[in-house]
Amino acid sequence: MNQMTLGTLSAVQLRRPTQRALAKLRTREKILAAAKALFTERGYEGATIRDIASNAGMSTGAVFASFTDKSDLFAEIVRAEQVALFEALTLAAEGLSPKAAILAMVDAAVERHLADLALLQATMSALWAPGLGAQLKGRVSLRSVSDLIVRTLTAGVANGEITVTADPALIAQMLRDSYLAALSRAAKEGVTAETVKRRVKEEVEIILAGARVS
Amino acid sequence: MSRGTVEGDEAISSLRQAQKDATRQRVLDSARDLFEEIGYEATTIRAIAQRAKVSVGSVFTSFRSKAHVLGQVMQERLGDLYGELDRILPHLRGSGADRCRSLFAAHYAFELRRTRLFLAFIAAAYDWPADPAVPVFGTNPRLRGMVRGCLEGGIAHGDVRPDADLDLVIDLLIATYAWNFRLAVSQGVDAPRLIALMDRQIGLIFAGLAP
Repeated sequence: MNQMTLGTLSAVQLRRPTQRALAKLRTREKILAAAKALFTERGYEGATIRDIASNAGMSTGAVFASFTDKSDLFAEIVRAEQVALFEALTLAAEGLSPKAAILAMVDAAVERHLADLALLQATMSALWAPGLGAQLKGRVSLRSVSDLIVRTLTAGVANGEITVTADPALIAQMLRDSYLAALSRAAKEGVTAETVKRRVKEEVEIILAGARVS
Repeated sequence: MSRGTVEGDEAISSLRQAQKDATRQRVLDSARDLFEEIGYEATTIRAIAQRAKVSVGSVFTSFRSKAHVLGQVMQERLGDLYGELDRILPHLRGSGADRCRSLFAAHYAFELRRTRLFLAFIAAAYDWPADPAVPVFGTNPRLRGMVRGCLEGGIAHGDVRPDADLDLVIDLLIATYAWNFRLAVSQGVDAPRLIALMDRQIGLIFAGLAP
């Protein structure tokens, strides 16, 4: 009896903060969803905290309770996208040899980015903007995906698929840049996922041939 | 009598055109200097008009927006760059890789003479939502033509496979060139270091193009 009362009490004590934490999490999720939609539609400069709050159905005060400012909100969206991309690429590359892994990562990345090309464009725009770009880079590490590619290429050096003279960091950067440039063009020209994949892979082939990956 | 009037009208009309061209030029010169001095974001159409000693309204008779002014400033600057390149290109010899290295080195050296202006141009090219008045970065037909010339030189020289997909290689080279500017944005990397980086990247790409 005594034990039962104790158990009931502790359950109540636990539930209250948990409920509050859950409510806070739901509020955060709602704000992030509204912000993502507005950033995508109007770009970073065009989206205001006031409109984000109004679309999320809450006050600007409630937004500021969860995020310090607009760039904090934007950085959180970019960070979440980056984590999701990293997970998708890791999954795609699993168990493959370095070259096959990189081509599989291209497929996975194109699928992901073409599904929400406008968000990618809004992100690239913010990253190139003077001031804001440097501020965002300080808050969001874009390294995880680059590091994954470097690790894959380094594995290629270890198993002899790639010459030891090649610089994996340089190749990783070139792969990423040619990929992003191809997606920018795709966005302007409105081409299909298959065309983008084919073109990116052909460019990847040239870079990897230069690094003598077989 | 009526003929005289027509000639008079023509004279007035060509005078008006000359005035309009002069105004346009003053606006472009003022805008170019302001973009470089105080940055693109901080520059207003009003400030451009003030420096050019014209009214805000007359800026809008020639340009649709600040982004449009920027696009035209960059277009005009390209004239100077191409003047330089026209003197360099006929003297390029040797491998395709070396021709490309000279071509892109000339571009970096030129564009980074006015770093802030050029970075504003790239930022505007990636601006979202996109402004149709700003040309898509990397699609300049003149640059594509020059890169193609270097690659054809490489085929003749023997360091580029004759069956290489030149359009694809042009895309790759221009993308590499353009995205390297990111290092100028984030780390303040100067022209000599960008040129050295591009030299290595060109080496890698051409190794992949070897017959």
